[in-house]
Amino acid sequence: MTGIKARPKQELAQRLAEAEATIEALVSGQIDAVVDSKSHTPVLLSKAQDALRESEERYRRIVETSNDGIWAIDGRSKITFVNQRLADMLGYSPEEMIGKSFSEFIPEASASKAPQRFEGSRGISEETEVKLERNDQSELWVLLKTSPIRDADGAYIGTLAMMTDRTRARHDEEALRKSEEQYRQIVETTTEGIFKSDDSGRIQFVNRRFAEMLGYDPREMLGVSIFDFMSDAAKKIAIDAFTRRRRGLQDVVDTTFLHRDGSNISVSIAGAPQFDADGVYIGSLGVVRDVTEQKKLQSQLMVSDRMASVGTLAAGVAHEINNPLAAVIANLDYMSESLRHMIAGDSSEAAPAKSTAWVLEEIKTPLDDARDAAERVRFIVRDLKIFSRSPSDEPTGAVDVKAIMESSLRMAWNEIRHRARLVKNYGAVPGVRANEARLGQVFLNLVINAAQALQEGHAERNEIRVSTRVEGDRVIVEVADTGAGIAPEILGRIFDAFFTTKAVGVGTGLGLAICHRIVTDMGGELTVETEIGKGTTFRVALPIARKDTTEFVVPDEQIAVAARRGRILVVDDEPLVIRTVKRILSKEHDLVVTVAATEALALCASGEKFDLILCDLMMPEMTGMDLHRELSLVAPEQADRMIFVTGGAFTEKARRFLSETPKEHLEKPFASANLRAIVQRYLR
Amino acid sequence: MKTIQAEKTGLRLRLYIAGNAPNSLLAISNLKAICDEHFATGCVLETIDLLVHPGRALADSIIVTPTLVKFYPLPVQKVIGTLSDTNQVCVALGVK
Repeated sequence: MTGIKARPKQELAQRLAEAEATIEALVSGQIDAVVDSKSHTPVLLSKAQDALRESEERYRRIVETSNDGIWAIDGRSKITFVNQRLADMLGYSPEEMIGKSFSEFIPEASASKAPQRFEGSRGISEETEVKLERNDQSELWVLLKTSPIRDADGAYIGTLAMMTDRTRARHDEEALRKSEEQYRQIVETTTEGIFKSDDSGRIQFVNRRFAEMLGYDPREMLGVSIFDFMSDAAKKIAIDAFTRRRRGLQDVVDTTFLHRDGSNISVSIAGAPQFDADGVYIGSLGVVRDVTEQKKLQSQLMVSDRMASVGTLAAGVAHEINNPLAAVIANLDYMSESLRHMIAGDSSEAAPAKSTAWVLEEIKTPLDDARDAAERVRFIVRDLKIFSRSPSDEPTGAVDVKAIMESSLRMAWNEIRHRARLVKNYGAVPGVRANEARLGQVFLNLVINAAQALQEGHAERNEIRVSTRVEGDRVIVEVADTGAGIAPEILGRIFDAFFTTKAVGVGTGLGLAICHRIVTDMGGELTVETEIGKGTTFRVALPIARKDTTEFVVPDEQIAVAARRGRILVVDDEPLVIRTVKRILSKEHDLVVTVAATEALALCASGEKFDLILCDLMMPEMTGMDLHRELSLVAPEQADRMIFVTGGAFTEKARRFLSETPKEHLEKPFASANLRAIVQRYLR
Repeated sequence: MKTIQAEKTGLRLRLYIAGNAPNSLLAISNLKAICDEHFATGCVLETIDLLVHPGRALADSIIVTPTLVKFYPLPVQKVIGTLSDTNQVCVALGVK
């Protein structure tokens, strides 16, 4: 007491104030240490409570080693604690941050809303993403988790915040989002349809283009089975394709889809299997190209290429025909002249009268020559017919590759003969499953290519070799030349459409592309081998026809002697043909002839009976087909007796008609023996 | 104006702390902020860590940390705690 009294009043007041301030500071937790009055050493308050200290130490260690940044703010938004991690994240030291308002670390843009978040809405725990600013002013995105700190009475006294660095993750997410956006754009702007289906074929995704192809809205297709957009035939193809996907295979399938309006869309689908992270098959991805237009265009191109080939050959063929034709005309003139002399009985000095026997002997040889020459013309025209047939997709059945090759060689002979010796090496081969006209187009292209690979004028030095042989279940046809070969840099492009090395006007650049397509369509293969300076070999491998695997034998018509005299009606709009038929058959049969089908119909309708009606197929006004139909109504028995004669079935209708007629038909030009034989066969 | 006043007064301060203890760190930071704002040039501050120099507690009869002592100009004033109350600190340091 005395001590206190001894002190000045002022000092006492001050000490009292200090004591009050000290107590207040102690109560509000602002004191770190108390100085022991005896030892005069500071005793940290925390040390007074070991358990508490240890527990705090443990938390401190967790806080300091945490990967998350942690801070605590007091009720006045001041930072009261920062762990090392958060200080590092922001580029400060903890000391620099303590005592500052947390808003100093938040850029102004997000400051308006952030305080509430940082303060945990003064009591509510939250989790949200916010942007902080680093010491170097760069952005720091964090995932912020806050929880309120309360005193013993439950009053809010501050907020503890944990922050996970999201800057990198946000960049990754942004990059991913951009990349996804890019893919989405590609998928939505591509001209190809894209769909994704699960294991059972249920559609999980379609792009707009695919939906448009089939006439739907993308949303209408989701969840629907892809099989619902297919015809039964297409379903079979799709089931096979899905089986291959399940085995992990990817390939391209040509098939069709059903449009909403019921029409068929020709498509080419590049299909790929999809697997989950464990490698389990989860579905397929299909990239769909609408090839309806392309298909149309392709068949047009094929026709135009064939026409181009025929066009380039027209001159050569004319030449081929002119030679034998000249022989026919000259020989006939000679015979006609000789006979005229004989009939007139001329006995001038220049041409003394000859005996009939001598003259007949004299004209026998030119007659045979004319016949041979005419026969050659017939062959050439037959070859031409192969190339003018319009393409139908079905193979015509078993086709003799040798015969087709021979036709092609004759067609191209004018191109070949000045350039190379032709070597044929035909091995015995069965018929192939192919379409004659198309195969002829392929062979002609290959032969002409071979010829054009060679310089003109050195026929003795060069060689074009054609060969046939069997390899496994395929027939191999090779066309080889001894030309310059194909340079490796263009070898990969030779089957591309419009790629050509020939001068303008010589090649269309379509030849090999179309050859390739034709051969592939037939289930075959067109390959090439080449060696610079040595030459090139094109190799066509074709599947052997299933049914008829016998060698092709063209049976010679038996020259039959008329056994029975028949009554025959001949209908043909060409008087020359009528006269010729009459000449050949009139000795053996009774003939009635007419140039108009209408007249023939009138005859039959009036009750005239014929054993046989030889009728031209293609005639102006009324065709042979029309006559057959009319006769079927008025005289069905006579209709059955019709045999058709044709110079080539040039229309689809005519071809179909002939293929449905049970009886064989007679092709112009015909040899007299053939005509007599066929008449005899049906006369019975 | 306040800065000029501080220069005239030649403010001398001592801050007693206890190592890295949180309240001590908070007091340092709060004091720095106040000095930066009000006594940018005219302030001499000595920070005394009692964990390192326990003997110095006796000199200013310090009984707790953190404690801020203004020993010049007179009268000597003490502020106890984290110095979060800027007003109270300013009053003690003679800033109007």
